Amino acid sequence: MNFDQLKDEWNNNNAQHQEISEDMLKIKEARTPIDKIRKQMKQEFMLQVVSLVLGAFVPKIFDFSMPLKSTYLIFYGIVVAFCTYYFYKFYRFYKHSYDLSIDSRKNLLWFYYEMKLNVELYKALTYIIGFIMISFCATALFLTKNDLLARILEKLSLTYIVLNAFITILIIGVLTELWARFYYGKHIKQIKVIIDSLDEE
Amino acid sequence: MHDTQKIFLQQINENKGIIHKVAKMYMDNPLDQEDLFQEIVMQLWKAYPSFKGTSKFSTWMYRVALNTAIVFFKKDHRKVDKASLNEQIEIADFSDSHEKEEKLAYLYKAVQELNQIEKALIFLFLENQSHREIAQNLGITEVNARVKLNRTKEKLQQIIKKNGYEF
Repeated sequence: MNFDQLKDEWNNNNAQHQEISEDMLKIKEARTPIDKIRKQMKQEFMLQVVSLVLGAFVPKIFDFSMPLKSTYLIFYGIVVAFCTYYFYKFYRFYKHSYDLSIDSRKNLLWFYYEMKLNVELYKALTYIIGFIMISFCATALFLTKNDLLARILEKLSLTYIVLNAFITILIIGVLTELWARFYYGKHIKQIKVIIDSLDEE
Repeated sequence: MHDTQKIFLQQINENKGIIHKVAKMYMDNPLDQEDLFQEIVMQLWKAYPSFKGTSKFSTWMYRVALNTAIVFFKKDHRKVDKASLNEQIEIADFSDSHEKEEKLAYLYKAVQELNQIEKALIFLFLENQSHREIAQNLGITEVNARVKLNRTKEKLQQIIKKNGYEF
């Protein structure tokens, strides 16, 4: 195989191509992995905002007692504060533009770490909300000790309760990891493979 | 139309062959090639403010086009055509120009078996870029670029041979 000859043929191949028009500059959304992740995060952001708004009506819907309502509002306030902080971070990520005119290695590393960082932030937020919800449920059980569930709980051993809490947290962790891997992981993995192939051997 | 847009369109049309070649190197399916072509045009337009004119427009274009292609993943629902080279390319005419086109068609099919970086190396080599320029574009050392390019050439030769075509 003669590469020099091939190179000449490559450079002498002047196939006629259609003109690039003004309309082509207006088309659709970008399709880099980071744009896909941003799009996914935007959809999830909308879902979380709706959940937060609905969450404000929980005490009314379930007719909470006054102490339970106050406790709920404290936990709800903490959740809103965390969400606001993380939403601000995601918003910055969403608006941050990227520069494709830098060299490929820098470009790939930027994509890789930016995506990884934001997926980690996303996971952290999910864990925090999960833990706050569990804490609220535990506090609610403590406050409503006359209820049937609290009476059942009294009959259970401490080891059983602790084990249950541990398994619940474990399930939240596994679901979050799987969710993140399913939606975002494959793009990060693909980019990592490309970065590795650039390394010296 | 704004002046900037007009200048951009003029420059990009003078160099549009680069985008077509990159799209064909990175995607084997015509629909995916079209998607990638559009994506590159859009990314070039988005990145145009970063073009300061200190280098040639085509030099800047190589980087943006390749960086877009490297991180561009085809739509999942489109099946990759696994048919062999001979099934893909009909050998109908043996005249000189057709033979050259056929050779390039085999090359485009063979490079589909290379990874994203290997495709970039072969593309830049075919575009007459020196080892130094290839290294600068990819962000690797010149020695690494030389070693990788030689290995990729060998790999490409083996792919073409394996598929029963020699040139």
